[in-house]
Amino acid sequence: MVWLVEQKKLFLFLGLFGASLFIVVIDISISTAILSPILKFIILLIAFFVDTLAISSRFYSYLILPIFKQMKRNVVLSKEDPYWIASSSDSILHKEGEEYIATVYIKIPLYRSETEMAPEEALEFAHQTSRLLGQSRTPIRFTHEMRIMDKDAYLDTIKNMISEVENEESQLMAQNASAAELSKVRGKLSMWRGIFDNMSKSSSLELLIYSSVSGKGSQEFEAVGVAQQRAREAISAVSSIFGITPSIVTGDELLKFVEPEYMIPYSTISEQITKNIREEVV
Amino acid sequence: MDEEAIIFSVFTAMIPVIVIANMSSFGGGLYPYLALIFAVLTIGLILMITFADFVVFPLATSILGITFQPFKDYKITKKQDAVIKSVRGIYYATGFITANLFAFEFKEEQVEENVEEREVTSLQNWEKAVMSLDFPFKFHVLSAGLDVQNVRDELEGKRSYQEFNLSKALQSGSANDVIITDMQRKISIIQAKLDRIAQGERPIGAVMYFETTAVGISEKAALDALSEQIRRIQVAFTGMDVQLLRVVGRELYTLYKFNFMLPTEVVEMESNFDKEQ
Repeated sequence: MVWLVEQKKLFLFLGLFGASLFIVVIDISISTAILSPILKFIILLIAFFVDTLAISSRFYSYLILPIFKQMKRNVVLSKEDPYWIASSSDSILHKEGEEYIATVYIKIPLYRSETEMAPEEALEFAHQTSRLLGQSRTPIRFTHEMRIMDKDAYLDTIKNMISEVENEESQLMAQNASAAELSKVRGKLSMWRGIFDNMSKSSSLELLIYSSVSGKGSQEFEAVGVAQQRAREAISAVSSIFGITPSIVTGDELLKFVEPEYMIPYSTISEQITKNIREEVV
Repeated sequence: MDEEAIIFSVFTAMIPVIVIANMSSFGGGLYPYLALIFAVLTIGLILMITFADFVVFPLATSILGITFQPFKDYKITKKQDAVIKSVRGIYYATGFITANLFAFEFKEEQVEENVEEREVTSLQNWEKAVMSLDFPFKFHVLSAGLDVQNVRDELEGKRSYQEFNLSKALQSGSANDVIITDMQRKISIIQAKLDRIAQGERPIGAVMYFETTAVGISEKAALDALSEQIRRIQVAFTGMDVQLLRVVGRELYTLYKFNFMLPTEVVEMESNFDKEQ
């Protein structure tokens, strides 16, 4: 694939450079008697512009053609989803040209803190980490992710409890219930509201450590097979170095590592944003 | 500057040079001088693109107001410093920061005597920095073990070259102490790397970076929050003695794509980034 990308880049560069050279040579060879100096100068500026595009194609070949084809401010490089979850639900797949690239995520349950280590243990831990990084001959990514805990379900439960108690309160008021009964229900209501305020006013963070590996193939199953094989090698390396048992992430849990809205859960954060706005307004 | 950069810049610089050599063909009056000025400006631009494309392109897209949609539902901002996704009216802005944090492993400071102490304190500093941050972020290390023999051959070649330079400088007597000390330091760095390989440690190629996501009720709010989070990461990790630079331009696109497809070979990984020398 690198070869293919390099070839494309080279052809684009040669095309642009050739065009620029052609324009300059023609521009220089035409006499000012045939073409006015101002036109010659404009043609020269075009040649310089094409030349600048040629040097830019070294890194930005993926942008240059779409920009000129679409000629609009929002340039669409792809309308497709960036990936989809494999049918085996243990990896995500992306198609690049004619090749499929499968990526497998491995959860590493490593919960050690430097504060509870003696200096020798900390040194050993640093060495283990270094050793782990050099284990694989193919690229492997290790990630330390601090994410906002998904309290959506919990917050929804509390919200339901608050509405239930509010209903109870209004029913009691309609029935002219005694002051003692009303104050008991109101106490319950203020307790749930207090819990809700406490839970939603700040986000709780959780730490995840995981690694990811990719494999490619001309068919989906081939790419998934290669990625899974690499994942198994990574798992054995991690477990032999740290003595823990990593596991392959499957299903919707994969989204936690890929999509931003799973890193910052929707209702957890929307509650916080609403509260911040309310505070700002007040 | 690698071979590819030399080839691209030399070829493209040929065009303005041809123009300068044929200035007279642009008629009389001001035109030859204008041609000369624009030829020199083009050479300047070529050099800037070669050495600092991350400045030129984001500036160009910023001025022209061009944004990109790399995939469905995602947008790269005109400054090319963040990827935005909108979900149910909330905007998620993601940005990246380069950070070669394992200084003891990859940087020149490696030859210092107190490497072990640095290894232990780096763990302490890491935990302190992480605890001081109260927003989501990721720290990624994309690594691959390199071929030991190739790396050793390369390092031995570099050492021989440095030794040759040193002996030439010593013989000529023209080099001052600063230059000689610098050469000796370079040799000792290479030797330290060779020694580590000889002790059985595998050389590693690695790309390390932070990724952080901020939310907001508008694109601007999310981008402002993202800039603040990036600033706080840079402050929190300053104790670790590394350069923390916000990623802009093509590398942002590359790092964003790493979230769902990683390079599968070392050569593919290296082709995306400039190598640390």
